[in-house]
Amino acid sequence: MSESQSERPRVAPRNSNANEAPADGETAYSNLRQLAGVIPNPSTPFRRASSAGAILGGQYSNRTPNVAIRTPGTAARTPRGGPATRPVPARRGPPTTPHAIRALRERANAARTPGQNRRRSGRMQRETPRDALRDLSRILARTTKPIQPSPQLEQTPRRNPALDDFDEGPDPVAPRLSMALDDMYEDDSIHEAPPRQSLLPDLPDDVDNNTIQSLEMGRRALSEDPRARFATRISERFADLNELGIDANSEFEIDGTFLNRRPTFDNEALLGDGDEDGEVFTEENTFEFRAFMDQESRRRSRQGDLNFTGPPDNDEPDEPTFRFTIPQRPRRPSPGAEAGGDERAVDEDGEYDDEGEAILAAQLGDYESDNAEVEADLQAYREESSAIDRSLLSPAPEVTKKPGRRRKELRTSKYGLEYPTFPPATVKRLAAGFMRSHGNGNTKISKETLAAIMQATDWFFEQAAEDLASYAEHAERKNIDESDVVTLMKRYVTGYLQMPERPLTRLPIDKGKSMQIQHHFPWHRSSSRGSFCRRYVWRLRRN
Amino acid sequence: MAPAQSLYPRSTLKRIIKAHSNKALAKNTDIMIFLDYTLFLQDLLREASIRSKQSGERGISARSIRRVRDMSLRKFKG
Repeated sequence: MSESQSERPRVAPRNSNANEAPADGETAYSNLRQLAGVIPNPSTPFRRASSAGAILGGQYSNRTPNVAIRTPGTAARTPRGGPATRPVPARRGPPTTPHAIRALRERANAARTPGQNRRRSGRMQRETPRDALRDLSRILARTTKPIQPSPQLEQTPRRNPALDDFDEGPDPVAPRLSMALDDMYEDDSIHEAPPRQSLLPDLPDDVDNNTIQSLEMGRRALSEDPRARFATRISERFADLNELGIDANSEFEIDGTFLNRRPTFDNEALLGDGDEDGEVFTEENTFEFRAFMDQESRRRSRQGDLNFTGPPDNDEPDEPTFRFTIPQRPRRPSPGAEAGGDERAVDEDGEYDDEGEAILAAQLGDYESDNAEVEADLQAYREESSAIDRSLLSPAPEVTKKPGRRRKELRTSKYGLEYPTFPPATVKRLAAGFMRSHGNGNTKISKETLAAIMQATDWFFEQAAEDLASYAEHAERKNIDESDVVTLMKRYVTGYLQMPERPLTRLPIDKGKSMQIQHHFPWHRSSSRGSFCRRYVWRLRRN
Repeated sequence: MAPAQSLYPRSTLKRIIKAHSNKALAKNTDIMIFLDYTLFLQDLLREASIRSKQSGERGISARSIRRVRDMSLRKFKG
């Protein structure tokens, strides 16, 4: 007991030998220990409801009435104190009186009722740890008091001052949920959208209205342009073209998403002479100018197309019905390009001219060749889309307009000369052939692999050209001869292909490493002996 | 090789060599250069296939080509 007291001082009360203690000499702790060993899974504590009945003078029993009769002295196995035990009459037997019979029947019915476990008379009463704890508490409750901490804590804990910042101070004024009538028509709010005008304000002609020359209307994304679906042939698009402001009498025209005022100055002078253009467009806004030129030429061609049999324009009686102006495209300057580059430029111009002729032929209704028709449709669609995109003022459509016709990306060598890339299709064909000969037959060359090979190709040509140039320089020649290439290849042959036979002749390797080579490398076993040897030697040489 | 298809674009190769060397080419030099390039490509792919087989890849990956590229280029340096 003293041992347990030292271990568990709280559990060992001094008056543990009270009446309710289970046995003399047993503490509640040892009782707990014993019970924990006996009952691994104690079930619900058997506790009688307080409404079960009153205590009959000192006679306790936990036996059901149909158990054999016991004498009152030996009935209780364990004295269970308190009102938790069920009172049992002293004499037990089959009930004889009608009241007892009815009570027994009711008790049986109540025991059969599901969900009610109040009646536990049929079960075995066990000592549970809870019972022991309850006993302990009853013993200890007389002497112990609830703990009062010596410094009295504050009743309400202090709140976080950071949180208090929001709530301190007087209550904010409740927001008004309705709108004041006085503020309704205030228009100095920056959140409101600017007023939209459907037409341009009246301005004199000499006012510089470059920035307000157009009103932006609702846009569509280019991908959702409904006109793109109908871009099949020009003959089907007449209504569409009419809709786009072909009407020459109206003062305003629609260009893409822009609503433009028709220019009132002399069109012929504007188109023909560059100086007057400079006067009209005083600012250096060549993009706007080009857009204007395009739109002007398009309008003219449409007018001519639509009023083909009708009278020509009033202001220009001798204007040709058709005027196709090729828009100037930004072209990359080629300062040092030699004959090849010039040839390409000429080719491109020729292509544009052909296109223009195709447009003319198509718009005149001359559908002789299918190619021309397709070209005309493509061109018309490009013009439309570019007219839409011009409102965005981004040069992107100029780039993406002709993805196939775009000039090849030229790089510049260290001499300032432009050169094209070696065609990857050729490289791929060659590489596929070599791979087939090397055993991995049907493996595809992936895009990344091809890119790596192309990089190697570029480097090889650069290196070979420099070597050839130095050979030719050495021979005091101005052009690279075949003998230079032969010399270059001989360097490769003498340096590497003859390497396995005499690997030490041309390499600046010290003798230890060369002995290492001869010792470690199995020449005779290698199937591709040249490559293995060379790779090994090169690894050494790099170090 | 399809017979109608040209083996390689001669003018492109000539232009590349011309741009890098700043010298004109004699008449059939580009053919010899292309032969040299073919040897180089063969060597590159052979080394790359060896390398890729050593690392257990199927086919030739770009990584293996990038590894053997410097080596093959040095071999063909004059």
